[in-house]
Amino acid sequence: MKRFRTSASAFTLAASTALSVVGATLPAFANDKLVELSQSEENWPMTGKSYKAQNYSKATQINTENVKNLRPAWAFSTGVLHGHEGTPLVIGDRMYVHAAFPNPTFALDLNEPGKILWQHKPKQAPTARAVACCDVVNRGLAYWPGDGKTPSLILKTQLDGHIVALNADTGEEFWKMENSDIKVGSTLTIAPYVIKDTVLVGSSGAELGVRGYVTAYDVKTGAQKWRAYATGPDEDIKLAKDFNMANPHYGQKGLGTNKTWEGDAWKIGGGTNWGWYAFDPDTNLFYYGSGNPAPWNETMRPGDNKWTMTIWGRDIDTGEAKFGYQKTPHDEWDYAGVNVMMLSEQEDKTGKMRKLLTHPDRNGIVYTLDREDGTLVSADKLDDTVNWVKQVDLKTGIPVRDPEFATRMDHKATEICPSAMGYHNQGHDSYDPEKKLFFMGINHICMDWEPFQLPYRAGQFFVGATLWMYPGPKGDRQNYEGLGQIKAYNAISGKYAWEKMEKFSVWGGTLATAGDLVFYGTLDGFIKARNSKTGELLWKYRLPSGVIGHPMTYTHKGTQYVAIYYGVGGWPGVGLVFDLNDPTAGLGAVGAFKNLANYTQMGGGVQVFALNGKNPYDDVNIGEWTGKAN
Amino acid sequence: MTFSSSKPAHSALLGAAILALALASGAARAVETLKVCASKIEAPYSTAKADGLENRIAKIVAKAMDREVDYVWFDKAAIFLVRDGLDKKLCDVVFGVDADDERVLATKPYFRTGYVYVTKASGGPELGSSWKDVETSNATKFAVRFSTPAELILKAAGKYEENVSYGLSLVNFEDKRNRYTQVAADRLVSEVANGDADASIAFASDVARFVKASQTPLKMTMLDDSFTPADGPKIPLHFDQAIGVRKDDAKLATALDEALVKAAPEIEKALADEGVPTLKPNS
Repeated sequence: MKRFRTSASAFTLAASTALSVVGATLPAFANDKLVELSQSEENWPMTGKSYKAQNYSKATQINTENVKNLRPAWAFSTGVLHGHEGTPLVIGDRMYVHAAFPNPTFALDLNEPGKILWQHKPKQAPTARAVACCDVVNRGLAYWPGDGKTPSLILKTQLDGHIVALNADTGEEFWKMENSDIKVGSTLTIAPYVIKDTVLVGSSGAELGVRGYVTAYDVKTGAQKWRAYATGPDEDIKLAKDFNMANPHYGQKGLGTNKTWEGDAWKIGGGTNWGWYAFDPDTNLFYYGSGNPAPWNETMRPGDNKWTMTIWGRDIDTGEAKFGYQKTPHDEWDYAGVNVMMLSEQEDKTGKMRKLLTHPDRNGIVYTLDREDGTLVSADKLDDTVNWVKQVDLKTGIPVRDPEFATRMDHKATEICPSAMGYHNQGHDSYDPEKKLFFMGINHICMDWEPFQLPYRAGQFFVGATLWMYPGPKGDRQNYEGLGQIKAYNAISGKYAWEKMEKFSVWGGTLATAGDLVFYGTLDGFIKARNSKTGELLWKYRLPSGVIGHPMTYTHKGTQYVAIYYGVGGWPGVGLVFDLNDPTAGLGAVGAFKNLANYTQMGGGVQVFALNGKNPYDDVNIGEWTGKAN
Repeated sequence: MTFSSSKPAHSALLGAAILALALASGAARAVETLKVCASKIEAPYSTAKADGLENRIAKIVAKAMDREVDYVWFDKAAIFLVRDGLDKKLCDVVFGVDADDERVLATKPYFRTGYVYVTKASGGPELGSSWKDVETSNATKFAVRFSTPAELILKAAGKYEENVSYGLSLVNFEDKRNRYTQVAADRLVSEVANGDADASIAFASDVARFVKASQTPLKMTMLDDSFTPADGPKIPLHFDQAIGVRKDDAKLATALDEALVKAAPEIEKALADEGVPTLKPNS
């Protein structure tokens, strides 16, 4: 197939050198209360704890010495059977809990854990269920602290495409907006993200003729501030004047339409974003990844398909993109790169202190970029078994492909690693700034991909592929185990401090703490703690169901707790959830995870742990009947 | 894969009688059968009740050959029949292949028809017989099947992207990644009848039965076979329909060709009953 390669115009580069580059960013908004809240170990006010999305806690009460004494403190069932992704929020005395479709939200009292202060149970059109492609998950909530005039709010998304603001004290709907229209196949599974007085929300449904976008709403009113698309004309994509000025070879203006797409295909080109965000108050940029191009079959969309599969840095106030780096031009494998962006400040190899973002991509590469201008700092394989790409050329940013593992017509590619599920999917990972290590949950799954075309009468045809997924080379292909890994990675040296195999994928992500611990859940239903320096397994506990969310920790009244959602599902659980047997169903996920049903079954909730199970009910009078109120 | 072999109900009595006779004599010649690969879900051509157009034609052809139809049923769409039935020698003939389908040895065509506009008999959009009328007419919503020349017409006319969501709604947004998902033929028609689509562009024999049965009067207008998009080769809109056999099964093809000549009047009647507008054979 013909490939479109575009390069920046020399003119643009020359014309823009007159402007000064980076460094001159304005100081942070001093009064962003969310920053303040996230600095306390008593709160977990957003999906990744802080704007840096590090899933890192400085709490040390639970540590390598005593983690063996971690015991269940209390638990709460959401009443929802389907997959539970994401993590609960904790602000002060409350925990906010979300769940898969039908998307109930609960505010729980941490002084009487499990007691429901309020609950929000939306009525949604049942059609939303049919539209969602892979289980009916939801990735979480956002919190806005209020400003004295407008009450504090909990922001949620519903599968039917709505974003809803709830009064955080009462659970009443404060405002509600339609962000995605399920009538045109667009659903919402992403967690909304609050930055200052703006709430961001992405979109899902790339396969359904949707053109992906991220939208900013006024958190107080729900009024739309701006919307930026992944494909289309520059004004729709919202490119800043100096877009990619530091890296013109990434491509600059005019690439979102027919230069990298056939005809008007960009109008239905996908590039939705349903993963995670991060924000840097200094650069005023937020970071996220746009997903795969559509349609699924690559032969139908020649070209680079910009700007799908892109790491974006956009100004939160204007929505304008300062940089965009496309990781997988012309995706052939469904490597939707919506993965987590973790922010850190580290010295690069030359000893220069830099502001970085690190992004373990579905395509099996973990990218680290300078988050001020998008410059590539490192791009390493998540595992040495990644083979579709030989390496990423750091100078050009282009992945050097191995044609043997392409998915072109008339070629049976065997053992493509990673599989369409990616070596890293939606898991929210963690970063320990003391150790300078990223802790990443990995899928160790490869695939065979044999495209075929079937003609039918009157010039009709169907292009498909026979797809099989199975454990990667380090797993056990006889027994379909060894489907996951957990790894500690240094983004500067490119080295792995340690790595361990897992029976199943570590789908949900990790939590790191200053107690030298890394926590994570497994699909087969364990929460585990390892020594974050050595990887040594120190503790585990069997949960009621498999895990696809990420753990969090909070300290309440002097006790450190660790909390995690259980509730198997999502893409890896699609066979189990929908009772599918054809191994090629779910794009091969049913085959890869055929043994999962022997380890766990559906059922969702939150499980909370503390040392020796300490919890408010240790005082047996808490929550007891104290007589009729007068 | 699931499939089963059974004789249509109407010949069950006869079949039973023959079977009884065969058992009684112990050595009598069994009636020769025509093993037809058939989908249970390909209305209006083939249905589980064997009341589709091709089920009827199969019976006519088999009769002309002095044989009986022996269906090998598939739960999947007919697009899979050659790969999963014929090539695996589970059955011997596939009705309704394009005469130039390279995977099979095709018989002489037994009819020819083409893509039509389906519109309301009165009050519908102005569509002539050219594909370009899609571009110039004020009609915006078109019901078409995926990956067909009809879809290519929408693309060439610049009306594809705005129709994508609507088209997917006709299959309830079912995930299409690597799955054969197709708009039901009757839906192409009912969408026009109920006014949700301005028009449908469909292969005539896909929709004729439903157009004929529609409560709201509808009409079919045959498109000219003159569709050449700006950036590509000519896309045919008229097609010869033939019976496909395995490439090494010339003997069966010859027998079928002979039968088709004999059965022509009855096939013509079946097509007329169905309401299919036929074209002169492409010789």
